Amino acid sequence: MNGHEILPYLIIIPLFGAFSMPIVNLLGRKAREAWAVIITGATLAVGSALFYSVWENGILVYTLGAKSPLGQANFPIRIVWEVDLFGAIMVLMVTLVGFLAVVYSLGYMKHDTGLDKYYTLIIILELGMLGIAITGDLFNFYVFLEIMSIASYALVAFRNDTWEGIEAGIKYMFVGSIASSFILLGIALLYGQYGTLTMSYLAVKLAQNPTVTAKVALALFIAGLLFKSGASPVHMWLADAHPAAPSSISAMLSGLVIKIGGIYALTRILFSIYGHSVSMKTVGWVIIIFACITLIVGNAMAVIQNDMKRLLAYSSVGQIGYILLGLGIGLAAYGSQTGEIAMAGAIYHTFNHALMKALLSLIAGVVIHQLGTRDLNELSGLAKTMPKTTFAFLIGAAAIIGMPPLNGFASKWLIYESSAIFNPILGAIAIIGTAFCTAAYVKVLYTFFGRPNERVMKARDPEGSMLWPIIILAVAIVVMGLFPWQISDKVMIPAVKALENQLAYISAVLGGA
Amino acid sequence: MGLIVKTSARAIIPLIGIFGAYIVMHGHLTPGGGFQGGATIAGAGILFLVAFGLDEMRKHYNKNLYSALEGIGGLAFLGAAMLGMGVAFFYNTLWHNGPFFNGKPGTLLSAGFLPIMNLAVGLKVFTGLVSALTAIALYRRWKS
Repeated sequence: MNGHEILPYLIIIPLFGAFSMPIVNLLGRKAREAWAVIITGATLAVGSALFYSVWENGILVYTLGAKSPLGQANFPIRIVWEVDLFGAIMVLMVTLVGFLAVVYSLGYMKHDTGLDKYYTLIIILELGMLGIAITGDLFNFYVFLEIMSIASYALVAFRNDTWEGIEAGIKYMFVGSIASSFILLGIALLYGQYGTLTMSYLAVKLAQNPTVTAKVALALFIAGLLFKSGASPVHMWLADAHPAAPSSISAMLSGLVIKIGGIYALTRILFSIYGHSVSMKTVGWVIIIFACITLIVGNAMAVIQNDMKRLLAYSSVGQIGYILLGLGIGLAAYGSQTGEIAMAGAIYHTFNHALMKALLSLIAGVVIHQLGTRDLNELSGLAKTMPKTTFAFLIGAAAIIGMPPLNGFASKWLIYESSAIFNPILGAIAIIGTAFCTAAYVKVLYTFFGRPNERVMKARDPEGSMLWPIIILAVAIVVMGLFPWQISDKVMIPAVKALENQLAYISAVLGGA
Repeated sequence: MGLIVKTSARAIIPLIGIFGAYIVMHGHLTPGGGFQGGATIAGAGILFLVAFGLDEMRKHYNKNLYSALEGIGGLAFLGAAMLGMGVAFFYNTLWHNGPFFNGKPGTLLSAGFLPIMNLAVGLKVFTGLVSALTAIALYRRWKS
C-alpha cells in the first residue's frame, strides 16, 4: 500500500475514535471498551503499514490542504508531515504499546469510574505522540506536544480520590507547563528571526544566517525537552507521576511519553533543524553531561526504593540516561562511525526500553491489582502464587539489565561500545549505571523468589485481558533478542543514516526549489 | 441572586446568545470565529448558572447530551477536513468545486468548509465550557 495515502489516517483514526467516544459511551460499557480496542487496533495496523512503507521507500512527505507544500512562492507555506525511518520506528512503537495498554486497561481499570473519559484521554495521548512523530512543522509539533502533555496530566491525576494522584498531577502539570512554555518561547524566537515554521525550510534559513537568537532558542528547546524526557536535575516529576498513575498509563508514560516528547523531539530538532548550523560538538557534550548525571542518579535512586513502581520510575530515568548518552555521543562524534553506532544504539534502546518498561509497568499493575500493595517488603514469594507474572517480570528485568539472549543486550552493547571508543570515562560511567540497575532488579527478583508472605498466598495470576498484553510484550522481547544484529543493520543503522542526512530531509520538502 | 439580577439575566441571555451565534457564523468575514463565539455563548450559559443558581441549572443541563454534542462538534470538524481527501487532508474542496459555500468572497456563503468548521468549533467550545463550569459548580461540598 502506498504510504502517502495512509499517513493521514494515523491522525484521523484516533481523532475519530476520541470524538465519537462520548456518543459510543451512550451504548454502554461493552460498546465503549470494544470501541477503544478497535480504534487503537486500527491505528496499530496503520502504524505498521506506515513503518513498512517508510522502511521500503524512504522519507515520506505529506502536505495538508494541497498536493504541494509550496504555494505560488518558492518556499513552503503549508503544514507538512514528514516521516523518515526514525519517525516511523517511533510510530510503530507508540501504536504497539498504546494498543496493548488499552487492552490491558479492560481488566485493570474495571473497578474505576468515569471510564469514558479514560478511554478518550488514552486515545488522545496516543494521538499526540503520533503527531509529534510525524510532523515536519515546528508549531504543529508544539500543538501535538501540548495534546500529549495535557492528556498525560489528566491521566496521571485520573484516580482523583487518592491523595498521591492529585499531588503528582499538580506537580507534573506545573513543571510540564513551564517546560512547554520554554519550547513555545523558543519557537516564537525562531519565527521572529527567520519567518518560517517549517522544519526543513527553517534548517535552510539557519544555515544561511546563524544568529544568537537561534542559539538562545536552541537552549530553550534543550531545557524544555530535557524536562519532558525526565533527565536528571529535573526528573522529580517523573518519580511521582509514575507511581501515582494507573499502571496502564505509567506503561505509556515510561515507555512512550518521555521518549517521544523528549528524546525524539530533541533528536529531530538537533539533527534535522540545527544540523550543521551550530557546533555539534558543544551541544553533544552538553547532552552527555546531563546523560551522565541522569545515568548515575536514576539508577542509584532505583536501588534504594521500597515501592515497586517508584523503583521502575527511577529505572526509567536511568535508562533515559543511556539513550541521552547515545544521542550525545552521536552529536559529539557527528559523522564518524562511533557517532553512528552510538546514535543507532540510542534509537534501538528507545524502542527496546519502550517494550521492557511497558512490560514491567504492566506487571507492577497486575501485582497492585491482585494484592493491593506496591511495597516490596510485602511481596515476597510471589513466584509461588503468580508464576506466569513472575516469569514475565524475570524476562523484563533481565532484558533491562542487558542479558545477552534478550533485546536489551544489543542496544546497550552499541552504547557501551561507542562510549568506550569515544571516551573511556563515559564507558565506565555507563557500566557503573548498569551495576546499580542490576542491583535494583536483583533486589526485586530476590523478593519475588523468597519465602511466601501470608498476603501473597491468596494471589492468583490475572485474567486474560491483563495477561495477554504481558505475554505479547515478553514474546516480543525474546524474539527481538534473537535477531539483535539483523535488526540493528536493517533498521537502526539506516534510521541513523537517514537522520544524519539533513540534505535529504530538506530536499524532500523543498523538492529542489 | 436577587430579582433585579434574575430579570436582567432573562433579558440579556438571549442577546449574548444571538451575538455569540453571530460571531460564530461570520467567522470567515469578521474578527472572531468558532472559539470566540463559542466562548461568548458559554458566557450566556454561565450567566444562567450564576443568576438562577445550581438547582435551576441542574434541571436544564443534561450531561450525556452535552458530551455527545461536544463529540459531534469534533466529528463535524473532522468530517469537513476529510471532504477533500481525494487531494489531501484539509483540502478545501467545497471552495474549489462547490456545490455550496463557494460564493463570492465576502458573502456569507463563501470560504468553503470554514463556516462549517466554525460552527463545529463553536458547538464544541460552548458545550465544553458549560460542562466544565457546571461540573465545577456541582463539585461535592466545601469540606471533603
